[in-house]
Amino acid sequence: MSDILIDDRIRDWVFLPIIIVMFMIQMFRGLLTKYMDNKKTTQKVTSKAQVAEMIDKNITQQSQRLARLHGLLPDHSFKMKRAHLCDNKSGILTKASEKPAKDPMQSMSMMNPAAMADMLKQNLSGIVFMALQYQWVSYFFSGFVIGKVPFPLTQKFRSMLQRGVDVQNLDVRYISSISIYFVLLFGGLQKIQQLMFGDDTDEFVDDTQMQMQMQMMGMPTMPSFGQQNDPGKLFIAERTRLEGVKHTFELNKSQDKAIKSLKRFLNQ
Amino acid sequence: MEEPKVELDDLEVNQERLKQNTNQLKNLRVYGSLNAGMIAGILGMDGWIGMGIYVVIFLIVSACLAIKMNFRVKEYFKSSYDAYYSGIGTDLLLFLMIWVIFHNLVNIL
Repeated sequence: MSDILIDDRIRDWVFLPIIIVMFMIQMFRGLLTKYMDNKKTTQKVTSKAQVAEMIDKNITQQSQRLARLHGLLPDHSFKMKRAHLCDNKSGILTKASEKPAKDPMQSMSMMNPAAMADMLKQNLSGIVFMALQYQWVSYFFSGFVIGKVPFPLTQKFRSMLQRGVDVQNLDVRYISSISIYFVLLFGGLQKIQQLMFGDDTDEFVDDTQMQMQMQMMGMPTMPSFGQQNDPGKLFIAERTRLEGVKHTFELNKSQDKAIKSLKRFLNQ
Repeated sequence: MEEPKVELDDLEVNQERLKQNTNQLKNLRVYGSLNAGMIAGILGMDGWIGMGIYVVIFLIVSACLAIKMNFRVKEYFKSSYDAYYSGIGTDLLLFLMIWVIFHNLVNIL
C-alpha cells in the first residue's frame, strides 16, 4: 500500500483546529467549575439523619486517628482514650456498633440533595461537552482521512478509527478525524492543562476524569457514599483494630533516634 | 526542583512533604512523556521502537531523580519502587497522544 499524500489544507483547517478547540473547551470547563465552586454556599445540616451520619463519620475518624498516631501519647493517656472508645459497656464504639444496619435504598435517599445536585451538575458539564465536541467533529470533519497512526493495528480497529471513510482496502493506519478526537479525549489534555496552569485545577481534574472513566466502563458513580449498608460492622472492625494496637510511647525511643541521626549527620 | 526531606520512621513520615514530592514527581513524569512523544513523533519512529523510546525516557527521568536525591530514596519517597517504577502506565496515553500528533504534523501532513 503506497503512502497517501495528504493535502496541506487538511492540516491547517482540520487537524490543528480540532486540537486547539478541544484544548480551549477543556480550559473553559476548568474555569466553569471554578466559577461554580465559588458560587456554592455551605450546606446547612438539616435533617436528623444527616446529623447522625456526621456523628458516625467523626467517630470513625477519631478511632482511626488514635490507631494511627498512638505513639504520640504516653501510656496512661492512650489507655484512657482507648477505654473511652472501646469499653465493654460504655465505650462509644461498642454503642455505635449495636445500631441496626441501614438498607441501601433508604440511605441513598437520605443523602443530602445538594450533593446529588452537585454530582449531576459535574456529570452534565462533562458529558454535554463531550457530546457537543463529538457532534461538531463528526458533522464538519467526516468523510476524509486526516492522518496516520505510527503503530500497526489489526483490522478490528477499522470501524472505530475510520468512521465515514468507506474505502475497503485502506490501511488501518490511516485515521479519520473522529479518531483524533478520541485520542485527544483519552490522552489527557487535562494533564497538560495542569502543567501549564498550576495546581488550582487539581481536584476538579481528578473528579471528572475519574467519573468519566467510570461512566465509560458503565459503572454508576458513587464517590462519597462510603459503607452505608452496615455501619455496625465498620465499628466492630475499628474496635478490634484499636484493641489490637501495641502501644509504645515514642518519646522513650527518642535518645536512640537522636544518636542515630547525629551519627548519620557526622558521617556525611 | 524543590524536594524537601522526609524522615522515614513509622510515625514520622511528614505527610505534607510526601504529597508535595509525589506531585513534583507526577509533573516530572508528564514532562518526560511529552518529550518522549515529541522525539518519537518527529523522528518518525514506528510501532515498537516508539514504545521503546517511552520506556527509555522514563528510565532516564528516574535516573536523574536518583542522582538528584543522591540515591537516598527513603528520605524522599516511601520506597524505591514508588519513586522509580510505579507510574509507568499512567502517562502512557499522554505519550500516545503526543506521538500521534507530532508524527502527523511532521511526517505526513
